Amino acid sequence: MSFTRRAVKVPPNSASLEEARHRVIDFFKTACRSIPTIIDIYNLDEVATVSELRSSVAAQIRKNSHLTNTKVIDMLLLKGVEEFNNIVEHAKQRHHIIGQYVVGQKGLVQDSGTKDQGDSNFLKNFYKSNYF
Amino acid sequence: MVVGEAGLAVGLCFGRRRGTMEEGEGVCILSLKSGDWWFGEQQQQPAAAAEAEAHSHREISLTKRHRDSVTQKATTFMGLGMLASRVIRPTASNLSRLSSLHFIRPIVSTPEASSAQSQPQSDPTPDPPPPSPRPPVAGARVHFPNPEDAIEVFVDGYSVKVPKGMTVLQACEIAGVDIPRFCYHSRLSIAGNCRMCLVEVEKTPKPVASCAMPALPGMKIKTDTPLAKKAREGVMEFLLMNHPLDCPICDQGGECDLQDQSMAFGSDRGRFTEVKRAVVDKNLGPLVKTVMTRCIQCTRCVRFATEVAGVQDLGMLGRGSGEEIGTYVEKLMTSELSGNVIDICPVGALTSKPFAFKARNWELKGTESIDVTDAVGSNIRIDSRGPEVLRILPRLNEDINEEWISDKTRFCYDGLKRQRLNDPMIRGADGRFKTVSWRDALVVVAEVVLQVKPGEIVGIAGQLSDAESMMALKDFLNRMGSNNVWCEGNGLNPDADLRSGYIMNSGIAGLEKADVFLLVGTQPRVEAAMVNARIRKTVRGNQAKVGYIGPATDLNYDHQHLGTGPKTLIELAEGRHPFCSALANAKNPAIIVGAGLFEREDKDAIFSVVETIAKNAKVVRPDWNGFNVLLLKAAQAAALDLGLVPESANSIESAKFVYLMGADDVNMEKVPSDAFVVYQGHHGDQSVYRANIILPAAAFSEKEGIYENTEGCSQQTLPAVPTVGDARDDWKIIRALSEVAGVRLPYDSLGAIRARIRTVAPNLLNMDEREPATFSASLKPDCSHKMSLTDFRPAIDNFYMTDSITRASKIMAQCSATLLKK
Repeated sequence: MSFTRRAVKVPPNSASLEEARHRVIDFFKTACRSIPTIIDIYNLDEVATVSELRSSVAAQIRKNSHLTNTKVIDMLLLKGVEEFNNIVEHAKQRHHIIGQYVVGQKGLVQDSGTKDQGDSNFLKNFYKSNYF
Repeated sequence: MVVGEAGLAVGLCFGRRRGTMEEGEGVCILSLKSGDWWFGEQQQQPAAAAEAEAHSHREISLTKRHRDSVTQKATTFMGLGMLASRVIRPTASNLSRLSSLHFIRPIVSTPEASSAQSQPQSDPTPDPPPPSPRPPVAGARVHFPNPEDAIEVFVDGYSVKVPKGMTVLQACEIAGVDIPRFCYHSRLSIAGNCRMCLVEVEKTPKPVASCAMPALPGMKIKTDTPLAKKAREGVMEFLLMNHPLDCPICDQGGECDLQDQSMAFGSDRGRFTEVKRAVVDKNLGPLVKTVMTRCIQCTRCVRFATEVAGVQDLGMLGRGSGEEIGTYVEKLMTSELSGNVIDICPVGALTSKPFAFKARNWELKGTESIDVTDAVGSNIRIDSRGPEVLRILPRLNEDINEEWISDKTRFCYDGLKRQRLNDPMIRGADGRFKTVSWRDALVVVAEVVLQVKPGEIVGIAGQLSDAESMMALKDFLNRMGSNNVWCEGNGLNPDADLRSGYIMNSGIAGLEKADVFLLVGTQPRVEAAMVNARIRKTVRGNQAKVGYIGPATDLNYDHQHLGTGPKTLIELAEGRHPFCSALANAKNPAIIVGAGLFEREDKDAIFSVVETIAKNAKVVRPDWNGFNVLLLKAAQAAALDLGLVPESANSIESAKFVYLMGADDVNMEKVPSDAFVVYQGHHGDQSVYRANIILPAAAFSEKEGIYENTEGCSQQTLPAVPTVGDARDDWKIIRALSEVAGVRLPYDSLGAIRARIRTVAPNLLNMDEREPATFSASLKPDCSHKMSLTDFRPAIDNFYMTDSITRASKIMAQCSATLLKK
């Protein structure tokens, strides 16, 4: 496949937590540098801005910031790199990007409006089904 | 194989004698009724369970002494053991079950095994001491009406004390021996024509029919001798001679007395080589399917129809092998208890027509629940397969419905499948309903209810509502500032102060003690068929007199039609009527007032006149309270207990927001045309046509709810099938609505709402217990209302169509088209 260019190569093992941390930050920087290209590829001009995408990537990395096992960090980094490569080489499609990175992890916009915030657990379960 | 207790289990036991069982012994039990195997082990050390099971795979034996011979013999059984050892490991419950199976006698397989060991019991005595007595069959309790009159009889060596007058069969039942029978039924008269119950009694030349022979003192009854067994095999052979080979197509298969008893007591081969006889089928109506070829002429249905149902429809025609059960005059069985012959028939001759060919009984899951089509609260078992209710059977409850249920109860289940509401809907501007989500529906309702003034909010609970939902409705409406909430059927100014004014104070079972009945404005045959059956039982048993005041009706017992209206009541109160003497001379007079009178304007006056009659006849005494009110709907008693009493009588005419919780009998004309009507229910019945918004709720078979019956006994239904579509439980809808409207109710779970009910009416939480009323009506102030002299009207026009479920049911429609007397 001539198109397959692996943007970031990841050597398998980090020696220490410091090295893992550096690698993660390097990966983040690469990803941020590619964000304008991504917006161009998937025509996300109306949908998202660079800073929104940057924050969502940062949020996903921050979610795993509590880990200390270098092997786990390496594995997650590998997955992140793979995902990033997929996005950059247009292996994904627009709706994937919008659903996974623009709208966020909380769910669709119309669900996570202001209506739901005051609801008790009872009401949330009630809307879902009769058996809770 | 050792045949154990009648038809229940067959024990196959290998290993040593029971007294010295040690680790690793096995007992493999085949249960006839359910056909499942379990391989249980008796072990002293539960810790060695795994090891013991591993042992039992390969060797049965127990200690080093018997390893050799016992192993060889036992490995032949081991084929089964391999199969069975994969099944259930013994648990505590299994072990206790095992220890209670006293009747399994071990088979010792080799002579070495029996001789070489040292037994705790040294040598077998010629007369072994009888082991401890067994509990009565089915855990029955014995009532001795005269303790001095108890007789002692010996059943299989055990001595039992039985009351005088009991039959041999009943004595054996007390002793724990279940004797097979076809024609005998404990609630019907004795026929003695099937001869299956033959047992051997010492010093009699022939085996005796135990169902008919009274037990005499000192009788020695033997039920397991070769003579008795031969008799049973012979009877079974005779019965099966003319019985068609219909098991694959017969609905009774799997729950058939003939199948079970022939497996347990019949011989393995028959000698019949001639042609079997066939009988033409009779048409008994849309409810009972008859295949009279299968009939074994036990006459249970004939006796039931004459004695319990009171209609003499069925009879036996002909003699000998040409006997046929039928109506002869091509009449349909119109009695409201006709469905019970389906339960009573031991074979598949009389089966349920709506249930024909639908399912086998082992596919069905039975859920114990309560019937809500009338106020009696008969205990039922809902048999369902997946999401569908397939049939309804009665449960035994001596106090309320004995073993019977009315036809409406039994066959209304197919209404649960039709006309169901499954999504919240809002009526659009063009008048058509549009499906919306729960969120939107509740938001709309909350908006409207917050805009309306408190005095214009009205809530009506339906006749099938359970106590939790009525509690939630009342709480919600009270928090919105309105107290105009009532239950339909209670009228617009019900009197909920004194409980004795709206329940059956003597209890349904207590009616059996009465000897004079005065029925005022009630037709128990259509309003509460089980109460009617009880009255009929009393009339037959005690020769009770019945006086009836109301429109002309036919009750299936002798009664005197005293009059049609309040005029007769006034005459009775003043002592001018001839029936007063009967009332005055009665030991336990009972007055039953119908709840149809709640709808009348002058109900207070009528009730005060009835109370005068009660006082004159001494109906209310410390030891006997015969003043009974027969309610019509399942929700009325709980509604009055919870205090669903409206503030103003004509609140509906000025209402702007009407919340109907399953209320279909409300006269929708009275609701103003600009009122916003919310209908929360499970069927799209009559009120839906006027509703502005529909909230789907669960029917009684899908929710766990408390219902109080007309005698004040609170019972609960259990969910048998899941709710339809997007429907929710009633109280959950109101709780969610309250939260959306801003007045969140303080309960989130069933336990919490029941705790709330405890603060209002704690008797509703004592399940299956009847709570008698504390104060009698003598505390009431005198009534100043004038009584109108209009005659009493019947409260129910069509027995088969009284609520939303029965109105939606096709079977009920067929019944009302064919079976109602015109």
